[in-house]
Amino acid sequence: MKQKILIGALITILIAIAAVWFFVFYAPTHFKRDVADEKGIQITAASLVKAYQENETNANALYLDKPIEIKGEIAETKTDQAGNTTITLKSEDPFASVFCTLKKAEPSLKVGQTITVKGICTGFLSDVVLKDAIIVP
Amino acid sequence: MKNCLFILSLIFALQVSAQKMYSTKSGQVKFNASSPVETIRAVNNQGDSRWLESNGQLVFSVLIKGFKFENQLMEDHFNENYMESSKFPKAEFKGYINDLQRLDLTKAGANEVKAEGTLTIQGVSKKMTVKGTLTVLSSGKIMLKSDLKIKLKDFNISGSYIGSKIAPEATISLYCIYE
Repeated sequence: MKQKILIGALITILIAIAAVWFFVFYAPTHFKRDVADEKGIQITAASLVKAYQENETNANALYLDKPIEIKGEIAETKTDQAGNTTITLKSEDPFASVFCTLKKAEPSLKVGQTITVKGICTGFLSDVVLKDAIIVP
Repeated sequence: MKNCLFILSLIFALQVSAQKMYSTKSGQVKFNASSPVETIRAVNNQGDSRWLESNGQLVFSVLIKGFKFENQLMEDHFNENYMESSKFPKAEFKGYINDLQRLDLTKAGANEVKAEGTLTIQGVSKKMTVKGTLTVLSSGKIMLKSDLKIKLKDFNISGSYIGSKIAPEATISLYCIYE
């Protein structure tokens, strides 16, 4: 009987050690944020650019570092220096658009096509910039 | 009257072509503050940069939240504790490439250049001279590469690990192909 309790206690301790190791040491360094698991804020490319042009501080409070689902027309698609696919979505202003770097290549995308892109907003330079974006079907 | 307008628009058009601007929205910026105990590096492929051929005026801006680390926890700490990227979302260099006129940008090859300007990180601006290489590629595109070292404390970047796990001096490497 005593032996059984001892073995039981030992197993519990081992599981506890494994759990602590996993949640404290393994998960925080190996977990990667994935926009696919997050619910995006829905908005059009035109209104997102407008929000940033009207008041950048307010727009940052609303959208910075948040997952955003943007609907817009493709103005341009390119491959950047690191080999990532990038797409530019049109807004009403020809000098400012939404610039997205995709997580994986999407060779079927065409200029003029209207699509929905989900990504994490990193802020506003000459365009509103999105990282780690995916195409929402 | 019509002729006059035509000549005016021609002059204007010529001026525009003389103001040739090179730009990119996907310049690469690497950040490295590794210490002997910890590898701390990040890449951002969304650097926005432009420069003018006529006078060498150059601007380079990058969003702090766009830096990607291999380790998510490090990325979170970088943004929240060290760079305060919600408060200061951008870093920027504004300045001029010196003596751009002496370079022949139609001839393929590498040229050493210096740019003088102001670097702003976390709301702190510092004047500095940055060395780099401006290479005219055989495709006619222009590539800019530069490595600069910054002392983190010069830009009010502080934290308990700086000097131990994090190097007190970080290297920022730029690599841009302009169109």
